Amino acid sequence: MKKLSRHTFRSNTLPSMAMVGPVTLWLAFFVAIPLVYVFIMSFCSIDESYNIVFKFTASNYERLFNPNYMQIYGTSILVAFLTTILCILIGYPFSFMIARTKWKHKALLYMMVIIPFWTNSLIRIYGWRTFLGTGGWLNHLLMTLNLTSEPIEFLFNKGATVLGMVYCLFPFMVLPLYTAIEKLDQNLLEASSDLGAKGHTTFRKVILPLTMSGVFSGSIMVFIPCLGYFFVSDILGGGNSDMIGNLIERQFQSGNNWPLGAALSIILILITLLLVKLYQKAGGDMDSLGV
Amino acid sequence: MKKYLSIMAIAALAAALLAGCGSESEEAAADADKPYAGTTLNVYTWTEYIPDSVIEAFEEETGITVNHSTFSSNEDMLAKVKSESEGAFDIVQPSDYMVEQMASQGMLEELDKTKLTNLSNIDESYMNPEYDPDNTYSIPYLGGVEAIAVNTAKITDEITKYDDLFDSSYENQVVLLDDFRAVIGLTAKSLGYSMSTTDAAELDEIKTKLLTLKPNVKLYDSDSPKSALIQGEATIGSMWGAEVALAMEENPDIEVVYPEEGAYLFMDNWAIPKGSKNVDAAMEFINYMLDAENMSEILAEFPYLCPNAAAVALMGDEYASNKAKNPPAEVVENGEYIKNLDTDTLTVYDQMWTELKQ
Repeated sequence: MKKLSRHTFRSNTLPSMAMVGPVTLWLAFFVAIPLVYVFIMSFCSIDESYNIVFKFTASNYERLFNPNYMQIYGTSILVAFLTTILCILIGYPFSFMIARTKWKHKALLYMMVIIPFWTNSLIRIYGWRTFLGTGGWLNHLLMTLNLTSEPIEFLFNKGATVLGMVYCLFPFMVLPLYTAIEKLDQNLLEASSDLGAKGHTTFRKVILPLTMSGVFSGSIMVFIPCLGYFFVSDILGGGNSDMIGNLIERQFQSGNNWPLGAALSIILILITLLLVKLYQKAGGDMDSLGV
Repeated sequence: MKKYLSIMAIAALAAALLAGCGSESEEAAADADKPYAGTTLNVYTWTEYIPDSVIEAFEEETGITVNHSTFSSNEDMLAKVKSESEGAFDIVQPSDYMVEQMASQGMLEELDKTKLTNLSNIDESYMNPEYDPDNTYSIPYLGGVEAIAVNTAKITDEITKYDDLFDSSYENQVVLLDDFRAVIGLTAKSLGYSMSTTDAAELDEIKTKLLTLKPNVKLYDSDSPKSALIQGEATIGSMWGAEVALAMEENPDIEVVYPEEGAYLFMDNWAIPKGSKNVDAAMEFINYMLDAENMSEILAEFPYLCPNAAAVALMGDEYASNKAKNPPAEVVENGEYIKNLDTDTLTVYDQMWTELKQ
């Protein structure tokens, strides 16, 4: 009996250690420790030469309630919200078409969503700037077609920021939606139609509830990065309406106040956790987040 | 058999490597002209500030290998130098106020200027700056001025000062650097105050005036503010002189104006961080960059304000007479370097900047 238990110990523990060990180490080194470091830093202070000193203070968190910061949180959430809504409105029919097409090269369509992402997003955002500028191609085209006499100013406002965000984050909406719609059982749709439901009723009562998990996980995956993509509001927004990401970046750069930057990052993490909690409450499945 | 073969192959490789090392050091010893041959210098400079060809020529001439890395802000550089172990960098390139900050924290080596035989190329007026009296720690490299660029085809008023940027008739037409010291600095200057003022009443006044700039600003852009001007997105703005020079080449309607209140002036410098293990080779590098011919080659590619008078003399009329590339002496004389701010004052600056940009 003793021998047997030792045997099972060996045969189970070693392989599972070998399997789980690297993952655990990875998570510890690249997720847990950095997070703890950020958390600790958010309670540190800086001395007169801007060195970080480990003297406990909550003042970084007090500074977060500054009315200017509050307005920036508001702007960020508004931009992220609009981006998410637009991604759903465009992404849903888009994913539906890809997932339900009878065309045999379905994988190709799917790939075409991903291929632009092989290019650096910064470069693609600069591309938009060239395209939309007052001397850009779009204005050139509109003026050639006599649709406008003066160039339209597309850039350097919140609208341009939202556009850039939608463009950058669109695949994160499409991929979970595609998975959810792909899984739809054709028989259920047929049953719905057999029972006399019209197209829109089937959509409302069958398709939408069954693909809601995809909408939720897509929304989470769009909303959260949107709060942090400071370069989009810098380049397309012209730096006129800062977001949380800009605030954090500034404290690590010119502001030279890493503890305050860390406290801002913690706030961003808290918002994220809150959203994920809401998502779970709404019945979302953590696995389908792909994280 | 296979095993032996692989062992032999490894042995052969190792022998080749050893032989390689040997011959290299022999070579170094053999060449008396190249006392530092074989040394590796870790050089940390601003991005887009020194042509690769000049570094390659230096390597060729001295046998020193240069390991070149770049940064895009003084604060980045400071953080990196602090976080690395001593001796990780042999040469850094801090701006004026950063020289002062690093020196006050004991982060820089004192320079033995007797080794810099080309130092006399630097114009007297650039020596002994207020941020480093006596040039104890730093030697000026290149600098610039925050100038005003104006598209004269769109704006017919005469622009003479930073204060003109606040004119309400330029609503939504101004491009500014995405740099709080530059924007708050020009606001302070327009009121006749120092760019690094710590006086609470002055700061209040600056903040009020700064916020009136908001409706005028079309965009903030530090990477390429000239683009907005060239493409007609903005008609007026403030940016570094070298950017204005490039904009003028693209669009002849664009003109450079140096503010009569006195301009924001910066100077980037060569310095050696404390703990460098190759101080002598580093001095050789700095001396090489002080050479008139080498410096003029750099200047041809990066036309900034150059304190090296001998190099400027070699540049010819195109550079010397270009007001944007080579600002007149009185502009430099009336210019102001920014100073380090204490943490409380920096918070005030940061808050007004946040309010402007929200």
